[in-house]
Amino acid sequence: MDHCATCYVRNRAICSALEVDEVTALGRIGRHHRLVPGQTLIWEGEDSMLVANVIDGVLKLSTSLSDGREQIVGVVYPSDFIGRPFGTRVQHNVTALTDAHVCTFSSSDFERFAREHPELEHKLLERTLGELDRTRRWLLLLGRMTASEKLANFLLDMSERLTPGGSCGNSPADGFDLPFGRQQIADILGLTIETVSRRLNDFKAQKIIAVPSRRRIEILDRTALSDIAANATL
Amino acid sequence: MWTHYPELLRRPVPRYTSYPTAADFDESVGEDQFRAALDEVAPGTPVSLYVHIPFCEEICWYCGCNTARSNRRSRLEAYLDALHEEIAMVAEHLGGRGQVARIAFGGGSPNAIEPLDFVRLLGDIMVAFHAENPLLSIEIDPRHVSAGWLNVLRAARVRYASMGVQSFDPKVQAAIGRVQPWHHIESLTGSLREAGVQSLNFDLMYGLPHQDRAVLMETLERTIDLSPDRVALFGYAHVPHLIARQRRIDASALPDEKERFEMAEMGHDYLVAHGYQPVGFDHFARPGDPLAIAAQEHRLHRNFQGFTDDSAGHLIGLGASAISQFPGLYAQNAKNAGVYRTAVAAGRFPVERGIVRSAASRRCGALISDILCHGDGALPDDLSPAQTERLEEFEQRGLIRIDAGRIRLDPDALPYARTIAAIFDPLMVHKIGGFSAPV
Repeated sequence: MDHCATCYVRNRAICSALEVDEVTALGRIGRHHRLVPGQTLIWEGEDSMLVANVIDGVLKLSTSLSDGREQIVGVVYPSDFIGRPFGTRVQHNVTALTDAHVCTFSSSDFERFAREHPELEHKLLERTLGELDRTRRWLLLLGRMTASEKLANFLLDMSERLTPGGSCGNSPADGFDLPFGRQQIADILGLTIETVSRRLNDFKAQKIIAVPSRRRIEILDRTALSDIAANATL
Repeated sequence: MWTHYPELLRRPVPRYTSYPTAADFDESVGEDQFRAALDEVAPGTPVSLYVHIPFCEEICWYCGCNTARSNRRSRLEAYLDALHEEIAMVAEHLGGRGQVARIAFGGGSPNAIEPLDFVRLLGDIMVAFHAENPLLSIEIDPRHVSAGWLNVLRAARVRYASMGVQSFDPKVQAAIGRVQPWHHIESLTGSLREAGVQSLNFDLMYGLPHQDRAVLMETLERTIDLSPDRVALFGYAHVPHLIARQRRIDASALPDEKERFEMAEMGHDYLVAHGYQPVGFDHFARPGDPLAIAAQEHRLHRNFQGFTDDSAGHLIGLGASAISQFPGLYAQNAKNAGVYRTAVAAGRFPVERGIVRSAASRRCGALISDILCHGDGALPDDLSPAQTERLEEFEQRGLIRIDAGRIRLDPDALPYARTIAAIFDPLMVHKIGGFSAPV
């Protein structure tokens, strides 16, 4: 069965560097996995055996601190690439936050394929640079931002990354379903659930967003939301 | 105009990138002292990081750095793995104390590793130390900068870069095992500017084989054509009994001491005449460059990378042979990459040598640094007769003035700055050899 032909993220994922027949060849060495919330795909510190494309869902990258606490170091969305080909260490735990659908490869298979397809190797470097940018924003978000700034950034990020399946390179969605509840948002952003609810209500009162249901967010005034988020950008 | 007093320059002296210098480090400092120094870092303290990549694609014959050929991928990977481990260990021990504002990558040649490896390394350091927007600087071997590397320098926002140019003369280049045509440096300079490098440094050398004033002059002219923001003009130190790779250099082709002195002076005068401001005794910078501004504002510091505008009192060195500087301690990691990896793999901080900085030692260090950075310092009130005598030698020649408890160097005393500083180094007394000629 050719998953790739119908893949939601094929135009945005790392495999978009490849021609159709090459995608099919890569698809043959890939396997599909479905994860439930809380399920860990890759463990920190283990030899890097696996790399993956996110097809659907949201996953968190985290490291464990020696006192047992968990530090979230990033969130990945559909079309993102997970893992470190051409490296021997995995630095992060990769754990599903929602139901998730990923397409995995053994590192060695992926590396062999990438060596034969330099455009894929090139894309990998681009992706890694993209991750560096995300890392910067993430660190800024955790370290420097106020609760409103954090939440505004997070909502904008989700609206850009959770575009409806099948589309490619399109403008951000003004309406989207939150992939997780208030408590999880609070955990990811290092806030309390009360703060998250209060700030969402503030945005609602200012007519920046509408919240038609527990899970639904509609961005009414993207400029205003961006202004709040931009207070803290680099 | 500089005056050559060979009798004042006879004694080899340290470069004083630290005080006490690395030559005074011993094994009394190890991981326990390093851990204690990390424990003392207070939350919010500015901390700079230095990351050592001890590999080069080719080994140049003049170089005294701790480097090895990067010809085996497996060796490089093993080193990078250890480096990632060390970063995680140090960051975890700091536990969020300390604010990392600068990260410098040096070597060797950081660009001897793959661009992908560099991006991962940088990302991991940023996450580990919560450094969301550090000022990044990097040393570059101009012979091996791929398109991928340029892309990475741009995307990673590397702002300071330093290139080893040494000499543009083909005969000199061949004689030191470092061939890099001018056109190549020219085009790379443009590429680095396009990649967003805001302060570009050229390292140049005098005292190389087959080099005389005319040969150096041509290199200086070609340097000015490319308009680097900073220039460092170092004297080549020929010490083949200490650095085996220098045995490939033909000692009979080296200029003599008088010619070296004149080359140093000519380089200084030429760069100053072309708008560069002297910084310390061997650096030069365009007036708007942060280093020149720091020198004007008396904010210049001396550290293992030379003269710097970095005011952080805490510098953590990561990687084999890297040196950490704390207010009360210098600590150096194992130089041997195998020993370094073994220590890290066992979960130990790979510190091998160092020295505790007592209050008295810090006072000496501050005076030596003031003399080298600003040509000015407060004299200690307990000068020994020997020190007074030595100072008189310089005073009589008009190289220093002593007034109201301060020592001031004449602008023409630059070639003597290290020698003057050494008068205040009590550890110099029992030192023989191992250092380079002051000019």
